[in-house]
Amino acid sequence: MKMVELLKVTTRPQRTKALKEAGYNTFLLPAEDVYIDLLTDSGTNAMSDMQWSAFMTGDEAYAGSKSFYRMEKAIRDYYGYKYVVPTHQGRGAEHILSQILIKKGDYLPGNMYFTTTRLHQEMAGGTFVDIIVDEAHDAYSEYPFKGNVDLNKLEQLVNKVGAQKIPYVCIATNVNMAGGQPISIANLKELRAFTHKHGIRIIHDMTRVAENAYFIQQREPGYKNVKIKDIVREICSLTDGATMSSKKDALVNIGGFLAINDWDVFEEARNLVVAYEGLHTYGGMAGRDMEAIAVGIRESLNDAHQAARVGQVEYLGNKMESYGIPIVKPIGGHGIFVDAKAFLPHLTQDEFPAQTLAGEVYIDSGVRTMERGIVSAGRKPNGENYYPKLELVRFTLPRRVYTQAHMDVVAESVATVYDKRSRIKGLKMVYEPKYLRFFQARFEQLK
Amino acid sequence: MRALTEPFKIKMVEPLRVTTEEYREEALRKAGYNPFLLRSDDVFIDLLTDSGTGAMSDRQWGGIMMGDESYAGARSWEHLQRVAQDLTGMQYVLPTHQGRAAERILYSIIGGPGKVFISNTHFDTTRANIEYTGAQAFDIVCPEAADVESYSPFKGNIDLNKLVQLIEQHGAKSIAAVIMTVTNNSSGGQPVCMENMKAVRAICDQYGIMMVIDGCRIAENSYFVHHREEGYQSKSYLDIAREMLNLGDAFIMSAKKDGLVNMGGLLTVKDEALSVKCTNLLIISEGFTTYGGLSGRDMEALAIGLTEVFDQDYLHYRIRSTTYLGEKLRDKGVPVVWPIGGHAVYIDAAKLYAHVPVDEYPGQALVIDLYLKGGIRCVEVGSVMFGKYDEQGKLIPAANELVRMAIPRRVYTQSHIDYVIDVFDDILEIKNRNKGFRITYEPPFLRHFTAHFEPIN
Repeated sequence: MKMVELLKVTTRPQRTKALKEAGYNTFLLPAEDVYIDLLTDSGTNAMSDMQWSAFMTGDEAYAGSKSFYRMEKAIRDYYGYKYVVPTHQGRGAEHILSQILIKKGDYLPGNMYFTTTRLHQEMAGGTFVDIIVDEAHDAYSEYPFKGNVDLNKLEQLVNKVGAQKIPYVCIATNVNMAGGQPISIANLKELRAFTHKHGIRIIHDMTRVAENAYFIQQREPGYKNVKIKDIVREICSLTDGATMSSKKDALVNIGGFLAINDWDVFEEARNLVVAYEGLHTYGGMAGRDMEAIAVGIRESLNDAHQAARVGQVEYLGNKMESYGIPIVKPIGGHGIFVDAKAFLPHLTQDEFPAQTLAGEVYIDSGVRTMERGIVSAGRKPNGENYYPKLELVRFTLPRRVYTQAHMDVVAESVATVYDKRSRIKGLKMVYEPKYLRFFQARFEQLK
Repeated sequence: MRALTEPFKIKMVEPLRVTTEEYREEALRKAGYNPFLLRSDDVFIDLLTDSGTGAMSDRQWGGIMMGDESYAGARSWEHLQRVAQDLTGMQYVLPTHQGRAAERILYSIIGGPGKVFISNTHFDTTRANIEYTGAQAFDIVCPEAADVESYSPFKGNIDLNKLVQLIEQHGAKSIAAVIMTVTNNSSGGQPVCMENMKAVRAICDQYGIMMVIDGCRIAENSYFVHHREEGYQSKSYLDIAREMLNLGDAFIMSAKKDGLVNMGGLLTVKDEALSVKCTNLLIISEGFTTYGGLSGRDMEALAIGLTEVFDQDYLHYRIRSTTYLGEKLRDKGVPVVWPIGGHAVYIDAAKLYAHVPVDEYPGQALVIDLYLKGGIRCVEVGSVMFGKYDEQGKLIPAANELVRMAIPRRVYTQSHIDYVIDVFDDILEIKNRNKGFRITYEPPFLRHFTAHFEPIN
């Protein structure tokens, strides 16, 4: 460690009060009242000294900033996409891409939904269709590539609606909502062949591509001796473009981009980005943040870095398992997903077991986590609740921030809650916002 | 006027590259004669914009290092929220990655087909955001603004008679909002006085219309109110800003100007129901409510910047140093918008390059000459930026053909500015020989950012 950030230690009564004031929603807790913050791995990374020094050389010119060209070069060199449009973060890229490619009545197949991605698709008039393999919805299947696409599902959709109604297939690497699970190169190649046949684009949601590449290196035949940087390059070469939230694998605190090989889409995106994000050579990012991304991309593709990164996640997962905690298997790349249905079997899904569990862990130790279940899934366009098969609490690890001792505290706290699980009561929702309700919903404890 | 010393010294420098005229000629050709497409490395003095190009103070850099990057409820957010609430008197504060995102959120909620927005002058991205929703945007700056070279203290004011007329004509129900841009960028960075703002508030109250203040240069405006408006000489700049912002129902700020930061924006509103709608959109397109697309460190730097900008010595330096450039140019016989505004000097290119017809873009010609002769980058604010075509494809020119030389905050010294002034000797010498430009490529909207040009021989 070269720089540290001090933490505040709170007492149980303080935390009980803080959670009540936050409406039993961990998103609404002040960060100051959190001891170990596992809410998200997005933008919470620690930058390296190399990134900080590049950061100081950021060129803040409005047009033609040197820092943009350095970031553009890193994206071309390491990911291989031709054209780059910078955005303030990943959802800015999703927004622009959805506006350009999706027409009303289109279908968007993908390997499981992601909250903001699906919403941008729906707002552009499209309908998301889940084509991930069935194993992804089974928390305990040990299938090594639970991020894979079920090509039969895609074929059925093409037969039903026609390829012209499908502007692109959206493929996430290391699928977040499935528990940080990878897609294999073999599956991606089959998908590429199928989409070529039907003239459909593949757009790559690449925020955790390096973690996915690590799993390919560890699990896929023929890749044991291939470097992560080469695997990443191969993954990208099988797709036509990408949206990137740099706040994950690229090891920064803010930033994103849209990358695309098609000149016409690029030109349209470059015109739109001025209206929504910023001029096409900064797109809503400070020059210094573009510098940090250029360096972060390179660091993220280092084999030793990824081994340590995913190794820490595995350490936490194994420790929880040793205490008998039910977790999603195999252990994913960016966090541990605890199965709240199995943890709190006496609660129905309408009593928000994952939301409840996230609150209990916070009260026990000040560890902040996130619900990924019925609250996150939200409502269908017709107003009915989605009832996802997986009802999970996500313990997400920021990159390079916490030590092994911090991980021990987390695992022990979950074990403490597990011991008294039968006495835990559920929640009821008392405030629900219109979109992405998990961010701001408020709850009360059931009596 | 006497030399004006800066109320700060330099703590970190950024080296500049000196290039030759031949080199710059080639760079221009590669950039399609559009300064927005030049690489910043090839620019010596960059007066393209004062947006996001300022130098932060050591205290702000300290804040950068203290930034809390927590996704939800970061202490940097709490700091920024406190400062913004104190400044605006509005309870609901939404952070955005920059100003245009705040505009898009608010105007897509209150705008839409059949709606009308009225402003002293809409800025280019503001107008684009409003028209995109299907609404109409009317500019009704006061009549004094039309005479660019004569003095009037508050040429940014809105024309109150026309405001009432427009409201009556369209019906109060269809007016989405009156937007007061302070200072008024598109009319030469000219200030708006408190009396005018109060009158707009009264009219809005009478008709039940929302009043939005687009105040990215609110501190610079406060300086002019303090020095030019009766009754404000004993009030601090901060108190004047507070008094003005309290008149609005909503406040939009690109923090990249008077927030003294490189990235950031704010939307604040008084009404709770409106804040809930805005928050829903914020989360979808910007980020969660407590960061809105900004890193924690940028929120920290903004909280500090919003406090520093009201410093008496800073604002005096800021306004006087801009005026210094303007007065020296005027003394040389360069026609400039008068009086000099807060953040930029605007040159009347139609007058300086009177031999270049409007459809050959005299402003663009001057911009190109300034880069060629001095490596100085500035921007055309005329028919390239605001021109439209009629049905025959003939140019409908903008009201004025101006060139804006915007001064980044705390970046250049007086010797840099003296250099710029000297370059004008070359410009004045060659001006009669200069040719206009034609557009060879343009996108469908906001064309000035990416259009290509070629010189007319």
